[in-house]
Amino acid sequence: MITKENLTYAIRNLMNRKVRSFLTILSILVGITTIFIFVSFGMGLYFYMDEISVDIGVDKLFVQAKGVGAPGLDSTFKLTDDDLDTLGKTRGIVQTTGMAFAIAMVQKDSKIMYNYLAGMPTDNSEDLDFILEFLTVDILDGRQLRDSDRGKVMLGYNYAVPNRLFEKPFKVGDKIEINDEEFKIIGFYEEIGNPSDDANVYLTMDEFNRLTDADETNYGMLVARVDNVDNIDEIAERAKKKLRKSRGLEEGKEDFFIASFEDYIEAFGAAMDFVIGFILVIAIVSVVVSAINTANTMFTSILERTKEIGVLKAIGAKNSEILVIFLLESSILGFIAGVFGVLLGWLISLLGGNLLAMLGWSFLSPRFPLALFAACILFATLVGTISGTVPAYNASKKNPVDSLRYE
Amino acid sequence: MLVDLFIYSFRNLKNRKLRTWLTMIGIVIGIASVVALIGLGGGLRMAITGQFQGVSADLLTIQAGGIAMSGPPGSGVVNPLKDYYVGDIGSLSSVEFAASRLLETGTLEFNDRQLVGMAVSMPSGESRRFLEQSFDIEVETGRLLKDGDGNKVFLGSNFAKKDNGFDKPIAVGQKVLLSGKSFEVVGIMKSKGSFMFDGAVLVNEDPLRDLVNNHDDVDLIIAKVKNLNEVDKAKFDIEKYLRKERDVDIGEEDFSVESAQASIDTINSVLGGVQAFVIIIAAISMIVGAIGIINTMFTSVLERRKEIGIMKAIGAKNSDIFYLFFIESGLLGAIGGLIGIIFGWLIALAGTSALSALLGSEVAPDISIVFVLLALFGCFILGAVSGIIPAMQAANMKPVDALRS
Repeated sequence: MITKENLTYAIRNLMNRKVRSFLTILSILVGITTIFIFVSFGMGLYFYMDEISVDIGVDKLFVQAKGVGAPGLDSTFKLTDDDLDTLGKTRGIVQTTGMAFAIAMVQKDSKIMYNYLAGMPTDNSEDLDFILEFLTVDILDGRQLRDSDRGKVMLGYNYAVPNRLFEKPFKVGDKIEINDEEFKIIGFYEEIGNPSDDANVYLTMDEFNRLTDADETNYGMLVARVDNVDNIDEIAERAKKKLRKSRGLEEGKEDFFIASFEDYIEAFGAAMDFVIGFILVIAIVSVVVSAINTANTMFTSILERTKEIGVLKAIGAKNSEILVIFLLESSILGFIAGVFGVLLGWLISLLGGNLLAMLGWSFLSPRFPLALFAACILFATLVGTISGTVPAYNASKKNPVDSLRYE
Repeated sequence: MLVDLFIYSFRNLKNRKLRTWLTMIGIVIGIASVVALIGLGGGLRMAITGQFQGVSADLLTIQAGGIAMSGPPGSGVVNPLKDYYVGDIGSLSSVEFAASRLLETGTLEFNDRQLVGMAVSMPSGESRRFLEQSFDIEVETGRLLKDGDGNKVFLGSNFAKKDNGFDKPIAVGQKVLLSGKSFEVVGIMKSKGSFMFDGAVLVNEDPLRDLVNNHDDVDLIIAKVKNLNEVDKAKFDIEKYLRKERDVDIGEEDFSVESAQASIDTINSVLGGVQAFVIIIAAISMIVGAIGIINTMFTSVLERRKEIGIMKAIGAKNSDIFYLFFIESGLLGAIGGLIGIIFGWLIALAGTSALSALLGSEVAPDISIVFVLLALFGCFILGAVSGIIPAMQAANMKPVDALRS
């Protein structure tokens, strides 16, 4: 029953009360903008996770030693070449490799910082390609590490950019001091998108072991590719049993973890759902407040136009028509707030995303699917409609005689 | 005069009950969510920093450089601290005591179940007493460790509970396997409501060194300052000694000397940042509530044009009219604020008691009276400020026009 007639009538009424309409729209807009910003960033994060899952692939298993603190740094329980062999011999596993982690003191002139050092498997190019596939990085500049590289390192993206780690960016061929020893830079990896990973220092496993005084390789993480993704849990169980046996451990007393990438994503996703959900709930509170404001505006507007309603009814307007007129008014308020709220939110997210990328947090980049715009505008319109329901119903039920007499 | 204004404003608000209530509900919800989040966050922050408390201000913690927050002290360190530093630092003139601590990861096995965790060393002699005193370590059952105790272990109170991960409480006199080696439990610590202590596995330094085959490194050195006024001097002395010993220049230190308070401050500022972020989002609903007040006041001015005209005709000054509406909107804010604060505090109380039950330690909402009063005053100001433009509009009306409408 929404006709052109009552639509223009509703719009004209809103235009007549410009200040009040504007304020009501503003109050809904603020909430919609906040929601739009957080959902767009949240969607960016989910998209990032999906992208990583696709890049890394679901066909991989990870083995890490148990310990306290950051993964791979606690060397109480070691994963050695023997474990790598055992893992490789498990039925269903087609490829294995591993990498090692330590903390390194990185120095240029008098500036010192502590970053992660990564020992890379450079024995053969397949292993290296496999680990790079897992890290999802490509070379930005320079060349890949070779097994014969001595005194040479590859660096993360942030070393090639000014003012992220060091004031002056490094170039291929420059020297950098690591644990008081000079290394030549042979290349840089592309941006991963978070300040910790982009500050990594990569070198060959031999150099890693020499620099960290390790007699044998102590892997921070083993990576395995399975032949059939459908059986990944079964293969993981088999590998667990085999590793347990070769390490001489009883069941339930493993000193290592084995997990598929999906397990990690699930755990991470659950934490993310919680954080984003919490923020959204708080943001929605402001929408509730604005809905009350809208109801308030509509109540006032109906009170003011009591006489008008009486006249409308006297010349034959049906209750349902009065209802539609006022519902339309509040819905239009919500709709306009939705459109402008979404535009404002889009602008802020865009600016915020760029700012974060400039600071090295490019994985926190917002996403703007069309559905998000549509959903936010629809939500705002709905808020307007719902908050107009009670006032509009009251208006439609007014007694024409009393309304006409109202002063 | 002022009292009259208040009474008049109050009566006006009462005359338009529905609108007043709706406007106020906006403010109530806004302020309630802010107060609830501040109370909850403050309580949570106290609970978290409380876990690290029990450390007195005259203690300095010395660690080797690495990536902070990557794990417990000593992990991820490039160049560890050496055992002989402890004696040297202890003999500095501004330092009364220095004690070494080792934090080693290992397995703890009991009842055929195994957990991975950390064992922490206790130094011998005077240093032991000093540590026990400054950390306020007391015995629940059994006894403390003493010098010469070999393969003996002193456990935090969590291990004596049923849900300790071993499906069976550990009691004094029983044997546990530490990284495969048998240790006798000599005592259980009195609960301190902090995971650092309640989950502690304490072993004398020598048996722990034997267990992990570490004979010269230490993870942490704790130094007690001789004179509380000389914390900075002691810090300076220790830094100077370590720079010389480790052969590094000023500004290139590969170690840190921090007072215990400094580390608590760091945690506090991180948590404070998170809390501020959440509160800013919650504050948006207060802004929306304020917009509601502006709207209501505009309507109210519009409705009472005739009244304003009459008041002006019988001699009301522009400023009187202004104050009238200014106070009316201020009251809207203040009453809404008062109800909101009460609700917010109740929500915080419910939230923290749920958390207390969940975490098993005392968490109470942390809101100061000063803050409550400030918030109340803030709501009055917020309401009043929202009313400024409508009130000015009312004050500047021409009496003739107003009367005619």
